[in-house]
Amino acid sequence: MSVLEQERAFYAAHEAEWMAAHPSRFVVVKGERLLGAFDSIEDALAAGAAAFGPQSFLVRRLGEKPAEVNVPALTLGLLRANPQHTAGRSGS
Amino acid sequence: MPILNIQLAAQDPSGNQVPSLVALQQRGPVVQVSVSVEQSIAQQLLAQGLSLPTPERGFALIDTGATSTCIDDAAATRLGLPAIDVVTVASASHASTQQNVHPIQIEVIGLPITISAPRAIAAPLAAQGLLVLIGRDVLQHCTLFYNGPAGSVSLSV
Repeated sequence: MSVLEQERAFYAAHEAEWMAAHPSRFVVVKGERLLGAFDSIEDALAAGAAAFGPQSFLVRRLGEKPAEVNVPALTLGLLRANPQHTAGRSGS
Repeated sequence: MPILNIQLAAQDPSGNQVPSLVALQQRGPVVQVSVSVEQSIAQQLLAQGLSLPTPERGFALIDTGATSTCIDDAAATRLGLPAIDVVTVASASHASTQQNVHPIQIEVIGLPITISAPRAIAAPLAAQGLLVLIGRDVLQHCTLFYNGPAGSVSLSV
């Protein structure tokens, strides 16, 4: 089972229901348990750590679609790039 | 507002110092950072009598092309960071991968404040000599001045 797989499945199954009750709030899920809904991600993290210590737990903002993660330096391998010709400038 | 001014330095393969503008072009805007578990979590763990791992120190590349901040995955493991989500990172060269999301706190060495990055993505950065990629989720709180001809960078938070 991959990381937080159970929590993500539980979230997907209940997102609409929780969204109606707690729009735009941050929820904390561990296993098949909703710990609560919080006003900020900092509050959610603190509540999760208070309940579960250093264990992993899911934190998501209700109603927020999964953001598209775009890190070209990683995905295109640009961190390894070593151009032989540097760019210059033209004009005056 | 505290401002950190960085003059880039680097050596060529022979060990000779290269001009700052070349160093900046080669290395990019890098700063020294110390990374630890996010403050909201750290306070709770301490209240439970748990000890916190020693912060990891290393270089962070300021990457205006990245939507999200990334932390080296091995460092995340050493710090015992909890995963709080999983995201899919697309790739042009291989299949998309699922990466853990960790809450971290970044101290930029030389600036008297810390920056919270509650959703940093784990990625293999150590091979590139990096601990962190600072993405636009953190840069939205910063002012960055990239002075290419001078080979310097100014960062304020």
